[in-house]
Amino acid sequence: MARKINPGDYQKRLDRITEIFSDMVVQADEVSRQRCPYRDRFDTCTAAIRCRNQVDRGVDERPRCRHDGRFDYRDAWESNPNQYHRAKEKIRKVKAAAAARRRDPDKSDT
Amino acid sequence: MAELSDIANAAIRQEIEEYIERPEEVARIVEMFANARETMQDIAAALIEGEHHTVDALTARALEGGIEALEVMDDGLIAGMAIVGIKFREAFIFVPEVLACARAMKAGMAHIEPILSAAGVEPAGKVIMGTVKGDLHDIGKNLCIMMLRGSGFEVIDLGVDTSEDEFIEAIEDHQAPLVGMSALLTTTMPNMGKTIEAFIDADLRDDVIVIVGGAPVTQEFADDMGADGYGKDALDCVALAKQLIESGR
Repeated sequence: MARKINPGDYQKRLDRITEIFSDMVVQADEVSRQRCPYRDRFDTCTAAIRCRNQVDRGVDERPRCRHDGRFDYRDAWESNPNQYHRAKEKIRKVKAAAAARRRDPDKSDT
Repeated sequence: MAELSDIANAAIRQEIEEYIERPEEVARIVEMFANARETMQDIAAALIEGEHHTVDALTARALEGGIEALEVMDDGLIAGMAIVGIKFREAFIFVPEVLACARAMKAGMAHIEPILSAAGVEPAGKVIMGTVKGDLHDIGKNLCIMMLRGSGFEVIDLGVDTSEDEFIEAIEDHQAPLVGMSALLTTTMPNMGKTIEAFIDADLRDDVIVIVGGAPVTQEFADDMGADGYGKDALDCVALAKQLIESGR
């Protein structure tokens, strides 16, 4: 059984795979303008999350997606300015609490 | 010039007939599969269907039978993925199907990795990837993983809803120099910051490079959290991983 691979030859294959995958990533972004990325070719939802567009079909079946396709899913989870600032403030608090805890390990994290 | 009928595998013939329309692509793909062994066509057909168990078994059998690893990659895995790429481009399949095919490709590559290792070909780097605690979104992370693996990285996928302890355990177990965290919700995004703080508490922060990404994440957030890098998409993620691993941060 042959067991040798030339690194240069292998790299050429990786470059080809990267080329195919890069096109797919660009296409995925494009498709997400109109179609949820969790929606498969059978129009069923593959997400582990709950969504208002899901229509349950039974215990053993994935829910159907009923979205009309006129929605840019790339922005679907982007925050509004208030949420953005709340998250930013929360990160600041997380860091401050962690720093305080390190300075004084006896005090609990609030 | 090869003909469609020169391809032994009926499923591959059907894929070409049904889904590939551009004449130059038909000619190229017919030529590719007509010259490939039937076993390679079988691997490609299973990959196109996202049947990772079948790809796993067929690849193992092909390599055990003495077929060269590069031939398996060329005529089985990459050839199959080329058809997947065309079907995705033409909207016959979508992201979930592509990810299933990528999973099947990984199953095949798992048998090739030991051969690479024996030949002294090391992975581009080892990366731990996970969606942070409280977040169940995984498409972006999975696309990043697909790209990273395709670029030669070894990826340890912690899945979704990953706790700080799970990240820490994985860093310790796998000695990976790079951790990628994903969040798709503004409400879970601060958990990236919490996880980075947990790395500091566990005295691991200097040992790992941390990159973050996800729809609501920005460079500003990444800087605020103390991450080493921010990737806006899967292409960025790979470029960033290469750059940070090469520079040591």
